[in-house]
Order: sequence, then structure tokens, then C-alpha cells
Amino acid sequence: MAKTTTVQKKRSMASEIWRRLRRDKLAMLGLAILVILALMAIFADVIADYDTKVITQNISNRLQEPSLEHWCGTDEFGRDIFARLVHGSRVSLVVGLVSVTISLVLGGTLGSIAGYYGGKVDNVIMRIMDIFLAVPSILLAMTIVAALGTSLFNVMLAIGISGIPGYARIIRASVMSIKDQEFVEASRAIGAKSPTTIFREILPNCLAPIIVQATLSVASAILSTASLSFIGLGVQPPDPEWGAMLSGGRNYLRDALHLTLFPGLAIVITILALNLLGDGLRDALDPRLKQ
Amino acid sequence: MEDKKYTVDIKNLSVRYETSDGIVEAVNGVDLKIERGKTLGLVGETGAGKTTTALSILRLIPNPPGKITGGVIELQGKNVFDYSEEEMESIRGDQVSMIFQDPMTSLNPVMTVGDQIAEEIQLHNKKMDKKQALEKAKEMLEMVGIPGNRAGEYPHQFSGGMKQRVVIAMALVCNPDLLIADEPTTALDVTIQAQVLDLMQKLKEQYNTSMLMITHDLGIVAEVCDEVSIMYAGRVVEHGTLEDIFEHTSHPYTEGLFNSLPDIEHREEELKPIPGLMPDPTNLPEGCPFHPRCSYCTELCKTRRPVETRLSDTHTVACLAYEEGTGVSLGGKLHE
Amino acid sequence: MSEPILEVKNLKKYFNTSGGVLHAVDDVSFTLEKGKILGVVGESGCGKSTTGRAILRLHEPTSGEVIFEGRDITKISNAEMRKLRSDMQIIFQDPFASLNPRKTVSELIGEPLRLHKIYKSKAERQEKVLELMEVVGLAERLMSSYPHELDGGRRQRIGIARALALKPKFIVCDEPVSALDVSIQAQILNLLKKLQREMGLTYMFITHDLSVVNYFSDDIMVMYLGKVVEYASSEELFRAPTHPYTKALLSAIPVPRLGAKKERILLKGEITSPIDPKPGCRFAPRCAYAKDICFSQSPELQDIGNGHKVACHFCKEFAGQ
Repeated sequence: MAKTTTVQKKRSMASEIWRRLRRDKLAMLGLAILVILALMAIFADVIADYDTKVITQNISNRLQEPSLEHWCGTDEFGRDIFARLVHGSRVSLVVGLVSVTISLVLGGTLGSIAGYYGGKVDNVIMRIMDIFLAVPSILLAMTIVAALGTSLFNVMLAIGISGIPGYARIIRASVMSIKDQEFVEASRAIGAKSPTTIFREILPNCLAPIIVQATLSVASAILSTASLSFIGLGVQPPDPEWGAMLSGGRNYLRDALHLTLFPGLAIVITILALNLLGDGLRDALDPRLKQ
Repeated sequence: MEDKKYTVDIKNLSVRYETSDGIVEAVNGVDLKIERGKTLGLVGETGAGKTTTALSILRLIPNPPGKITGGVIELQGKNVFDYSEEEMESIRGDQVSMIFQDPMTSLNPVMTVGDQIAEEIQLHNKKMDKKQALEKAKEMLEMVGIPGNRAGEYPHQFSGGMKQRVVIAMALVCNPDLLIADEPTTALDVTIQAQVLDLMQKLKEQYNTSMLMITHDLGIVAEVCDEVSIMYAGRVVEHGTLEDIFEHTSHPYTEGLFNSLPDIEHREEELKPIPGLMPDPTNLPEGCPFHPRCSYCTELCKTRRPVETRLSDTHTVACLAYEEGTGVSLGGKLHE
Repeated sequence: MSEPILEVKNLKKYFNTSGGVLHAVDDVSFTLEKGKILGVVGESGCGKSTTGRAILRLHEPTSGEVIFEGRDITKISNAEMRKLRSDMQIIFQDPFASLNPRKTVSELIGEPLRLHKIYKSKAERQEKVLELMEVVGLAERLMSSYPHELDGGRRQRIGIARALALKPKFIVCDEPVSALDVSIQAQILNLLKKLQREMGLTYMFITHDLSVVNYFSDDIMVMYLGKVVEYASSEELFRAPTHPYTKALLSAIPVPRLGAKKERILLKGEITSPIDPKPGCRFAPRCAYAKDICFSQSPELQDIGNGHKVACHFCKEFAGQ
């Protein structure tokens, strides 16, 4: 509907987006949760001492229910679950974010190249991606870690690489649907180079599926770390890590639910917060949804 | 005048859409009448309320946000707002049918055109079995100039003009009293448009159907219509026979529309466009809705809303220049 | 006769489709003088838009020459072509689709200036954007609006400002007013004409609307299924249309005047698409005068006097009528 526009003050892009994001209560809730989680990870040593609380075993305190002393109870070795969660967040959050960034950047680049140029380039890239997809991602990650050696960064790299095909496919599809629109041709008509066209014209219009995929895959990255840890390629015991805590507690599911409940909750809350923020960002970045 | 039977008689219709941006006054007190077998052209630009008026006749205004806030629409003398939803369903397609602008989207892509027409027939004629309905569907296709043996094909196998013919066949299949055509040829090429208009004209005469032709093209109006209503910002600003509108143009907006058209027979004449834009429908100007764009605008036009003035038996106009004692003048240029 | 700014010779653009090779533009040649307006008319699928895009190399031509100011631009490198884009611009049909929905008006208009690094500072660029907005009649307060907040006419003005930003010499106008309302259409046409006069621009004006093209152009080229069927000055074409297709096209336009009803030539059938076309005149299947030769031999474009060219085997006979 044609609508006469009211006078607007000139604002910078970033402050405009922040202004719109701020109005979205759920997104702000998500952001707040993420800030709290990040603060906990940064100040983990202040909250709970690593040596005494996180890794020291104390069989007499084994499998205690949550109490004032142990907010989330204790695990099968008598360690405080809350303290382990706080320290574990350092690993889990970093693994989640870094590996997703790796898959996003590499997968995004490959996907947009494939989608934009099409033809042979597209065929070559996407068939390679198909090969990656045919190998179970955990097997792929295992191979990479086994080849590069066990370290936290290699784990992140491995998980990041195994996520590439997913991003490549999603971004290729959205790039293909956008690239035939006239404004892309218009940008070529004024003399824009291909990279400019991809990054400034096409990708900003593909943000919605990218954000959804990114927020969801943080969860699977955390869980993949757990699997790698489980077979001895990830974070080594007794170092805490959310995924490992979750899988370690499942033997006690009947008797001591809190062993799985709290790490699970930690993951759920993180993902929820990311999703809320992601949805809010998606809307804030789309000028068409401006009220 | 009063004894005439009208196929459709709209009195003082008002429709509004309540959106988050505000209340859109889409139609504000529109009167329209169509006699049996006649064609009324409804002319106006995007957002003038043409389609809303048409959808109101079928009671197809999406609600929410749309709301009919006043007026009466009589079909064959009966007010459509008194019908139940079931009764309305049997009226649509039977008494009144509609042709939409885009033939590409008004056909179901996964059904053969024959089945689609046959379904329409069976919907309104329960006694007919599938076989008879298909036979009738083929007849209808032949009538709009498509070989009957193509009834088994899907819409994507037809070209744009053919699809619009199929849509016309569907619209006419129950021999409606009123056919509403909403920009039926806008999506088509000129030579195809000529074919389709020709076809509609023939069928209309053959079935003695009344037609409401919504268009922005005054050329089409000159060719197929008997009477014309010019709409602006949800109001009819001028109404009359073809001769009234084309030869005795009275409203400044109508004049502006004519001046905006490049004349195919006289080159090099400077176009005189109407300045400005359609008013924001959530915030219509006071007084005459056209005053911000009108070159004859006076102070009075900004505050006083013009009422319908009768210039002759057939010709009405809503402009202060034609009302007694307003002092508004069109400089003798128009048919004052 | 002034110097030609653009010469198109035997331009062809074929697309490979699943059904075969689509001859979208098939052997089109014409010359355009500086400061003139060439109207290109035809119905959907006749190749008029593809011709415009092939000339600008937005679609790479399959073969043929496009000589712009003495240089064959089909042979130059991509980088040189990018530089040349400041001289050759395009205005698109759909002001909805041709503007990136995520950019503001000033970003959209400033983009060509930024890409070609014409101004050093952001402030200078901004000033130029404001100047362009004034030229095309956009109010300054719309600077930070997004396209979806504006009506079609204003969006088309953004498209025009973008095309003008680099001070082009030649602009392809691809149906610039077909998506607009009548009263707005006239505003934009007047604007385009005023700019053409003031800046000495050369236009290739693509449209399906013959009344618009008559108002607008010096010469008119009528296309049908990838081929030029008639080429003449506007006056000549409207006075003495010769090709049966042009005649039918002219007679099909509804004229907004009473008693203007002319004898209408109703064409039979519909436009098909030129996929692997057989030899012969492409209009023959719909032509009322078609004879055997029309189905076997493609007619050449021949001059019948006054620079009036027609591609029809019987053009000499039709010319007198």
C-alpha cells in the first residue's frame, strides 16, 4: 500500500537496528540470558574454584540431591554440578560459537559461489558437499581430529568442517532464489563486481534462513563435542563440558535425574536464548518489517 | 427511472480496513447501478477502491481487516447482506461470477481445465453427473475458442490468453446475471487483449449478462462499456454514459486522466499529468479528496465535501464547481 | 545526419532450454544516432528486453557486434565493460524488483557513485545524491526511507536517479512506465523526456505500449519473435504501417475516444516461442496474407524508401495500401 512517509531523522545503520531490536522483548530476554552466560564463563573462577570444587572427587558426597550447598546437586564422583556447569560453559559456549562460525564462513562462501555462478562451478562444489554429507558428520569429525591431533581447537575445527555442507546447501538455495531478481541485475548494470554483488546485494537478503540454521546448529555442535569427548577425542575428563556431563549422567537417569537434567537445561537455555535473539535480529535487520 | 430493473444496485456502500497502520477508508459511500445486459466501467487508479467495491458484491472482503460499515447491495432486488453464508456460496459463480486480473493464478495448476470447469458446473447443478458435466465443460471451451479436446490438459500447457479464455468459460458456465471483470486483460498482450475483449463482448450479448468492468484503461472503456463511473479515493467522482464522460468531461480528475494519456493520433503533444500522488488512504484529506492535486482548487474545496450534483438524467458529478453558490470555477474549461 | 552513438550488427542471443535452443534475439541490426530516441515495440517474448540487455552485456550476446562510440564492446574485457557502464545505463520496468529492499534511498542512489569511486569523501557523495534526488523530483526527507515505503512512481524516480548518477550518454529504458498508474505514468514520461532534452541523452525505449512510444520516440523498431519486422520513423510508421503484424498491433490498441473504433484486425492464434525456429517468416502462422513462400523462406529487412524498412516478402504490395 502506498504510504506517504513521515519525516525521518538520519540514523546510522547500527543504531537503527539496535533501536528496532530493543523494542523486541523476547530478543532482549535472549540477549540478557546470553550476557549472563558469558559473564559466568568469564568469571567462572570467581564463582567456583576449579581445583577444589570442579575436579576434586569426593565419594562421600556422591549423587546428592540439589540443596543449598550444592545448587544442582553432585555427580557420581561427588563433584558440584553447578560449579562444573559454570566451568563447562567455557568449553561448550566457545565450541558452539567457534565451530558454527567456521561452518558459516566456509559453507556460506562455498554456497554463495555455487549458487551465484551456477553451472560447472556449482556442480563441482555441490558434488563435493554431497560426498561430505554421505559421511556421517561425527565420523568425519573423528577422522579430522584423529588426523590433526587432540586439542580443543581441532575439535572445533572438526565440528565446524562437518557442518559446512549444511550451510552450503541452505545458502546456495537462497542465493539462487535471490540472484535472478532484478535488483541484482541492476547492481551489475551500474558496474558492481561479482563479490560486491554477492555480499552487498544477495547475502543480506538471505539472512533469515542463515540465522535459523546458525542458532540451531550451536546445539548440535555442543552435542557433537560430547560424542567426541566420549570416545576420547574431545575434552578429557576430569575437565567439565556440558555434552560430556549430559552423556555421563545417563547411567544414573533412574536414580539421580539431576545429573542429566541440569546440563540438559543449560544447553536448552543457551539454544533458546540464541533462537530468541536470532529471530529478533532477523526481524530487526529486515527494513520491510519496520513498524 | 425508478421502475427499471437493476441487476445490481449498490447504495451508499462504505468499506474500511482496520490495519495496524490505521483505518483505511477504502470505499466511502459509493452508489452504482447496472441494468440488465448493460456494462458499467469502473475506472480509477490503484487504491481507488474499485476492487473492494467489486468484492463487496460477492461479500468476499477479507474480514478482518475488512469491514463493510454501511450501505446496501441489492442483487435482483434482494440485499446480499441478508443472505446466510451458505446462500451466498450458492450465489457466487451462479448469479454473480468474477474474472480476476491474473489468469496464471486463478486456475488450479494440478487439475485439468476440463475438470475445473466440470467441478464448477456440478457445484451449482447437483443433478448433473461427472460425465455430463465434462461434456458441458467441453462445450464451454469450444464457445471461448478452445478446441474441446484440450479439456484434458493442465493450465501450464496453455498460454496466457488461452488461460484467460478458460477463466471466462468458467465464469460464464452457470449463466450468471452479473459478470465482474477485474482488469481482465491487463496481464495480456495487446493483440491477445483485442481477442479477449472481442470474445467477452460477444458472449455478453449472447447471454444478455450485465457486466461490471473494472479497468484503468479508458480505451477499453470506450470500446466495451455503456456507462462509466470514475472513482477516486473511495468515491465516485463522476458518473455518466460514455458520451457524458468522453464528450462532456466534467470532473477535474477525469480531465486529468484524459490529459495523462499519450494520444496515439496526435504526436508531440506535451502530456499534462495530474500532479502529486493518490492520498494516503489512512489519512484522507478534508473537503474534496481530490483538492491537493486539483489545479482549480479553492479555499472552500479544502473544507467542504462536494455532494453528487446531477447535470442531466444520466450524468452526475461530485465537484463544488457544479454546486449552487460555492463560487468555485473551473475557468470555463470544463462542461460547467 | 549526426554521428551514430550505437551501432548494432547482427546481434544474436540464444538460450539453451530443455526444449531446444531459444532464439530470443535473432540477427538484429540497427543504428542509433546521438540524442535520438529509438522505440522498440513488441509483445511479451518478442526479444525486446533481451535485445536491450544484450547491448549492455547484462546477457552476453551469442554473436554479433555492438559498436558504442566506435568501439565493439562485445570484445572488451569485463573490467573495461564495468568502466563503460557509466556511459551506458538501464532503467528497469519493475521499480519493486529492481531496488534492493534492504537499502535506503540515499544508499541506492549513492551506490553507483561509490562503486565507481567518483567522490572521495562521503559528504561529497551525499551532496551529489541530494542533487540527483532533486533532479528526479524526490523530496530530501525521503533520504532514509526504504523502497517498500514509497509508491511506484517514487520508486521509479529512484531507478532513474541511479541511472543518471554516472552521467551516462545512452540509457536503455526497459518498460519504465508499464507498472505505473496512468497519472503517474505521465509524470515519469515527462521527466524522462525533460532529462533527455536537457542532458542530450540517447534512449532505447522498450515498451509494449504503442501510444507511449509514439509520444516518445523519433524512430520505432517493431519486433516479433526475436526478429525486427519493421523499422521506420515514428511518423512514417503510424502513417503507413506496412508489415501485417504492425498493422494488427496498431489496430488492437483501444483508443480512449468515442467513435474512434477503427476496423480491427484480429490476429488468430497466439505468440509461440522461437525455440529451434524453422526457416520462414515467424509471423506466417498468424498472418492472414501468408503464402507458401512465407513458410519456407525468411524475409529480409528491405528498404521501401525514406529509411522505412520492412521484413515481409510482400512489403512492396502492402506499401501502397
